[in-house]
Amino acid sequence: MIDNPTANPKWVRDAGKALKGRTKHYIFVSTISVFSDNSKPVDESGPLNTPTDIEAPFDASKYGNNKVRSEQEAKAQFGNNVTIVRPGLIVGPGDLSDRFSYWPVRIDRGGEILAPGTPDDPAQYVDAQDLSSWIIRLAENRTMGIFNATGPKTPTTIAEMLYGIKAVTTSDAKFTWVPADFLAEKEVRPWTEMPVWIPPIGRTYGFMRVNCQKAYAAGLTFRPLADTAKDTLVWYHGRPAAEQEKARAGLAPEKEKTVLAAWHAKQLAAK
Amino acid sequence: MSTNLNAGVSNAQVKPLRILILGGTGFIGPHQVEYALSRGHKITLFNRGQTNPGLFPNVEKLIGDRNASDGYSSLKGRTWDVVVDNPTQIPRWVREAGAALKDNTQKYVFVSTLSTFKNRKEIGIKEDGPLNDPAPYDAVPGGFTPPDPARPTATYGQLKVRCEMEARDAFGDKALIVRPGLIVGPGDLTDRFSYWPVRIEQGGEVLAPGTPDDPVAFIDARDLTEWMIRLVENGANGTFNAVGPRYGMTVSQMLYGCKAVTSSSATFTWVDADFLLERKLRPYSELPVWMPPRGDSAGWARMDVSKAIDAGLTFRPLADTARETLVYYHAQTPERQATLKAGLPPEKEREALAAWHIKIGH
Repeated sequence: MIDNPTANPKWVRDAGKALKGRTKHYIFVSTISVFSDNSKPVDESGPLNTPTDIEAPFDASKYGNNKVRSEQEAKAQFGNNVTIVRPGLIVGPGDLSDRFSYWPVRIDRGGEILAPGTPDDPAQYVDAQDLSSWIIRLAENRTMGIFNATGPKTPTTIAEMLYGIKAVTTSDAKFTWVPADFLAEKEVRPWTEMPVWIPPIGRTYGFMRVNCQKAYAAGLTFRPLADTAKDTLVWYHGRPAAEQEKARAGLAPEKEKTVLAAWHAKQLAAK
Repeated sequence: MSTNLNAGVSNAQVKPLRILILGGTGFIGPHQVEYALSRGHKITLFNRGQTNPGLFPNVEKLIGDRNASDGYSSLKGRTWDVVVDNPTQIPRWVREAGAALKDNTQKYVFVSTLSTFKNRKEIGIKEDGPLNDPAPYDAVPGGFTPPDPARPTATYGQLKVRCEMEARDAFGDKALIVRPGLIVGPGDLTDRFSYWPVRIEQGGEVLAPGTPDDPVAFIDARDLTEWMIRLVENGANGTFNAVGPRYGMTVSQMLYGCKAVTSSSATFTWVDADFLLERKLRPYSELPVWMPPRGDSAGWARMDVSKAIDAGLTFRPLADTARETLVYYHAQTPERQATLKAGLPPEKEREALAAWHIKIGH
């Protein structure tokens, strides 16, 4: 029994009541947002957010707290027959959140691209196809336990990700790296407006450095980034035009232009 | 006829040409033949029949040895629309090809090199940039000396300048001269790009040369040869620099792009140019594709190729080149795979990285 992302602990409890005793293995897809402290790299034992009260009205904005509570419900209902998978950012064809798709689409369009932070900032993500096929193998092998699940297997930088995406295109894209503090000053939001990226400093130092060695040892593998990028582009271009225009993540073209212009002006003034 | 071939990539009906390819069985030849056949042209290969004789069983083959006194006799009495002379650096071959073929073809395409340019200090060298002094006509004496493109002699560029002169003397307006930069991709026998995808796929700490933003330039053999076929379809004349990619590329974009076609664990350590030179790590051969973007090689990776692009040269995505290069590499014998002809030997890479870490203190 595989329960794909729900953040509502009540659903988990109800699933438990309905299915307990009728399944040998309950796999709950949680999130790495369960962790309360992202200031350093964590493994599965990292401190968790305070669980929400299951009886309180459901508040979707408490995503990490809800997921902690859901994990607890899963364990309470299914005991030792539980696998909890905590993916990081799930990407690839079919992603309706555009929280990675922005990059291939933006790079494919070409021109000067605002690239966030420094080229060496870490990036973590997992292709939905890699994640889901691994979950099936977990079921096949009856692998129980808790797993952080993001990738790639070895530390990857945001430049590797962006340049790797560029490699599947014939785009004229040029990247201008704009430091985190300037982006903050211009209110460019990490993660949503600058997808995949979180400044690797202070409270979010460890956000893109989650330790997933346990999942790798349990068989989580990663397809080449070029496959993810290309499949994402093919999928995106197959969507209705109206949907393509309403990308749900990434920087609006106007804002990108404005911020780049301000950055260049600042650079010029500093000379 | 216009040389603006921007629409040339379409598979619109083209007039079938009779094309004679001198050589045609090495690195770039087979790509060229395949594409030309797909466009409906009629191909004849002329060579010694020794390299890959089983290739293209349905293509006409004429046997001849360009070093023999009657080497071209099998071509007598025949005519072609186009003759393509794939890489030779022997001026005598070009002159004699002229004597044998100038009245029997409408076009002669000579594959030259960007190494014809006297210096690469300038950024944006165009086709009319200053050339090397030509080598003497008889710089390569009689007898077959197989050119070793991985280790060009000091006079490689000079020989090519002389070859270009011979081509123009013999064929006049019929001569079309293409000057590629580093030719890469599946089939490459020199490994001067292949090293990178292969090395990156092996994983671990990879010595990356210079700074991430150093420019690089190369051209996929398929982009080059396919474009050459379209050029002759369109009756183009003159001389063209031919390297890519279209919009410039940095060495980090090249390496990270190669990594993107793998699931490799590679991490990159950027080692600065001075340190590399100090330790006698050779740019271009041991550190393939890369040249320090300064001094004599400042313009090496920044030649002007706008003329070729206006004439229809296109570039496939780097991921295609990298992936196909790996597929080709893995299809080679284990012995061949174990002996890359360019790049850093593993031992030397390890030593250089260790020394670099000591120098930078971490």
